[in-house]
Amino acid sequence: MSRVVTAALSSALALATATPLASDPLPPTTNFRQLPTMPFSRVMELDAAQKPAVMQRQLDMLEARYDLADRPMDGVMMTGGLRAVQDGVRVRLPEGQTWDSLAAMTPAEIRDADLLPDGFKPLPHVKQANSGQVFPQFVIDEIDRQEGRDLTRFDVDFDLPAHLLPEFPPPIFLTTQPHLGDVSRGQLLTLANHYEIMNGLLTPVQMEGLRILLTPFPQEEFNQTEDRKTAEQHRGIACLDCHSNFSTNAGFHHTPDVRPQAARFRLDSPALRGMFNQQIHGSKRSLRSIEDFTEFEQHTAYFNGDHVSAARKGEHVPDRSHKVAFMAQMQNIIDFPPAPKLDPLGRLDADLATEQELLGEQVFNGKGQCAVCHIPQTAFMDQQMHDLKLERFYAPGEVVNDFVLLPDGPVKTFTLRGIKDTPPYLHDGRLMTLADTVEFFNLVLHTQLTQDEKDALVAYMLTL
Amino acid sequence: MRAAALALALAAAPAPGLAQMGNPGFMAPDTRFDAQGMPEPGQTNPNDILFAQLAAEGGMAEVALSELAEGRAQAEAVTAFAARMIEDHTAANERLAGLAEAADIPLPEALNAEHKAIRGTLEGLEGAAFDIAYMRGQVVDHQKAATLMVWEIADGQEAGLQGFASETLPVILRHLEEARAIVADLSAQPEIAAVSPETIGIAPSATAAGWEGEGVTSPGDETANPAAPSPPPPAGAGAAPADEPAGEGATPAEAETAPAE
Ligand code: HEC
Ligand code: HEC
Repeated sequence: MSRVVTAALSSALALATATPLASDPLPPTTNFRQLPTMPFSRVMELDAAQKPAVMQRQLDMLEARYDLADRPMDGVMMTGGLRAVQDGVRVRLPEGQTWDSLAAMTPAEIRDADLLPDGFKPLPHVKQANSGQVFPQFVIDEIDRQEGRDLTRFDVDFDLPAHLLPEFPPPIFLTTQPHLGDVSRGQLLTLANHYEIMNGLLTPVQMEGLRILLTPFPQEEFNQTEDRKTAEQHRGIACLDCHSNFSTNAGFHHTPDVRPQAARFRLDSPALRGMFNQQIHGSKRSLRSIEDFTEFEQHTAYFNGDHVSAARKGEHVPDRSHKVAFMAQMQNIIDFPPAPKLDPLGRLDADLATEQELLGEQVFNGKGQCAVCHIPQTAFMDQQMHDLKLERFYAPGEVVNDFVLLPDGPVKTFTLRGIKDTPPYLHDGRLMTLADTVEFFNLVLHTQLTQDEKDALVAYMLTL
Repeated sequence: MRAAALALALAAAPAPGLAQMGNPGFMAPDTRFDAQGMPEPGQTNPNDILFAQLAAEGGMAEVALSELAEGRAQAEAVTAFAARMIEDHTAANERLAGLAEAADIPLPEALNAEHKAIRGTLEGLEGAAFDIAYMRGQVVDHQKAATLMVWEIADGQEAGLQGFASETLPVILRHLEEARAIVADLSAQPEIAAVSPETIGIAPSATAAGWEGEGVTSPGDETANPAAPSPPPPAGAGAAPADEPAGEGATPAEAETAPAE
C-alpha cells in the first residue's frame, strides 16, 4: 500500500473512532453478566411458570424444521451396540422444492427466494436469555442415581428426542490397551465408580486426571449462589457430565465466544475421542493444545467466557503443571472407536468393504470434495477452521426463539472418525443424521451429487 | 406513522407479537407478571429505555448526515445510498418515536457529541474526500446499530421495542453490507487514495499515539489504562504510516484527542 493510501485509510478510520468525546459504548451488560435483581425463590417461580411455553415453542420450532421420527437404519448400530443409527434426511424442505431443485439453484437464488431449509440454519438454544448447559434426561437420571447429584434445571429441559442422540453410556477405547476393546463395562464413569472400573488400566497420573475430570465444580447455572437454575444449591458440573465416557451425550451449551447474548450460538458437546491427533480445539477458539483447552474450559468456558462472573461463583483454576497436565494425559489416551475396514492410511480395505462403501470413498475423495478438508490420513481433519459461508444462502439477522441468526464464520473441521456414534451434527447439532450432512455439504460445496452418490457417502461414513 | 413503518422494507419479517422469554433473574422486582411468568405487556426495563435513546440518536444522525450527503456526495453510489438511508431511517425513526411515546421514554432531540463532531468534519469536506469520510462513518454507525439491536433482542423486555429491534436488524445488516461494498469500491479509486489525512482534518494514528503518550501502557498491553481519554484503535486501524514513528506523532495527537475541558 502506498503511503498516501495508508494515510487516507487511517484518517478515515480515525474519523470514526477518535472524535473528541467519542461515542458512548454500549452498556456493560452487552458483554458482562449483570447481577441478579430478584430473590432466588421468585426467579424459580417465574422460570418454572414460563417453562411449558418455553419448551412448547422450542418443540414447535424443531418440529417445523425436522422430521424427528424414530426411523433407525436396518441393522446399523452405534459402536457399543446400544442405540441404532437413524436413517434418512430429516431436514424438511421448503414447500414445492426437492433436494435436486435446490442443488440446481445458485446461492443467490436460494437466498433471494428464501428457500434455504430452516434446518440448515443455526439451531437455537432452548432459552436464549437463560443460556447454559442442558442435559438429556437419561444423563440426569444416571448421574443422580450414582452420585445423588441432580442436573435438573427448573427453567428448561433438553429438547431433542433420545433416539436422535448418541448411545448411552458410550464405550471407551484406550490407545494404551488396544487389545481390550471397550473398557467401560457398560457403565457411565462417575466419581462413584471410576476407580473400580479403571484400576489396573491407568497409571496413577492418568487416574488422578480422571478423578479431576469427574469432579464437579461450580458453573454459571449450577452453583451455590442465587444466580443458578437448579432448585438446590448445587455442587456443580464435571467435565465428563457432558463428555460422557469421553464421548458425548449431546448435552449442549452456548458458545462462550460471542456477544451480545442474543447472538450466542448453541454448542453440541463434541466427543473427546482421538484428541491426541487434534491440534486446534473448540469450534471457534482454536486453542492450540488439550492443556490450554482443559484449563480454559474449567475456569471460564463454564462461565460463558466471563471470568468476572466466575470469580463470584467459585471458579476453579486448575494448576497448570500438575492438574491440567494430568487431565490432559488422561484425555490423550482415549482412542476413536475401531474402524476395522480402514487400513493404516485411512483408506478402505477393498477386501473388507462393500461396493457401495467403495463408491462412497471415491465420491468422498473426488466429486464430493470432502477429503479436501476431512483428510483420511490425518484422522479426517485438517487442523484448520473454514468459513463455509452459509450466509450466501440466507439473509442474516432473522430472530428465531430470541436467537439472532448470524453467519457462522470460520469453524474448525471436525473429525469424521467414529462419526456414526455422535449425532446430532455440526457445532450446534443442527443436523440429525449423516444423510442430512450430505445434503448440507452438497449444497454448500455445490457438488451436484446424484442420489446413488449421496447414499454411498452415507454408507462410507458409517465405516469410519 | 404505522403506514410508513409498514411501507418500509423492514416489514419483511412478520411482526412478532411476543416479547422474548427473558431471564427473570435480571428483571426489576416491581415487574408485573402474567400467569405464564411473562412480564405483562407495556413494561420497560432500563435496557429498553437506553436502547430507545441510543437507537433514536443513531437514527437521527443517520438522517442528518445522509441529508448532508445527498446534496454533497460526488459518486452516484454514495448519493443513492444516502437517499435510501434517509428513506429507511426516517420511517424507522417515526416508528421508534411512536413506540417510545407509548412507553413514556423521552428521546434525545439533538445530535450527540460524536455525531455533531462528525457533521462538523463532513461539512468541511467535498468531492472524493467527503464520499469516503461519509461512507466510512456509515460503516461504523451501522456496526454499532447492529450490535445495539442484538443487545435489545436479548436484554430488553418490552415487546414493541424488541419487535422493532428484530425487524430493523436485517435491514441494518443489509445497509452495512452495502456500505462496506461502497467503501471497498471507493477506496480502490485513485482520487480517493490521494485524499490526505489533513484534508479530512484528523491526524493519522491519533489515538494510538495518545495512548502511548499516557505513559501507562506499553505496546502490546492496550488493556491496562481504563482512564485514557479516547478508546484504543480497532485492531489494525491504528497503524501509523510506515515512515512515521509512533512517538513523533504523540504530542499533536494527544492535543487533538484530549477532552475539551
Ligand atoms: C456443558 C457440557 C460440557 C462440559 C461440562 C465440558 N465440556 Fe468440553 N466441550 C463442550 C462443548 C460444547 C465443546 C465445544 C466447544 C466449542 O466448540 O467451542 C467442548 C469442547 C471440548 C474440547 C475440545 C474438543 C474439540 O473437538 O475441539 C475439549 C478438549 C474439552 N471440551 C474438554 C473438556 C474438559 C477438560 C472439561 C472439564 C474441565 C470439559 N470439557 C467440560 C461441552 C462441555
Ligand atoms: C471446506 C472444508 C470442508 C469440506 C470440503 C467438507 N467439510 Fe465437512 N466439515 C467442515 C467443517 C468446517 C465442519 C464443521 C462445521 C460446523 O460445525 O459448523 C464440518 C463438519 C462435518 C460433519 C459433522 C461433524 C460433526 O462431528 O458434527 C460431517 C458429517 C461432515 N463435515 C461431512 C462432510 C462431507 C460428507 C463432505 C463432502 C460432501 C464434507 N464434509 C466436506 C469442513 C469441510
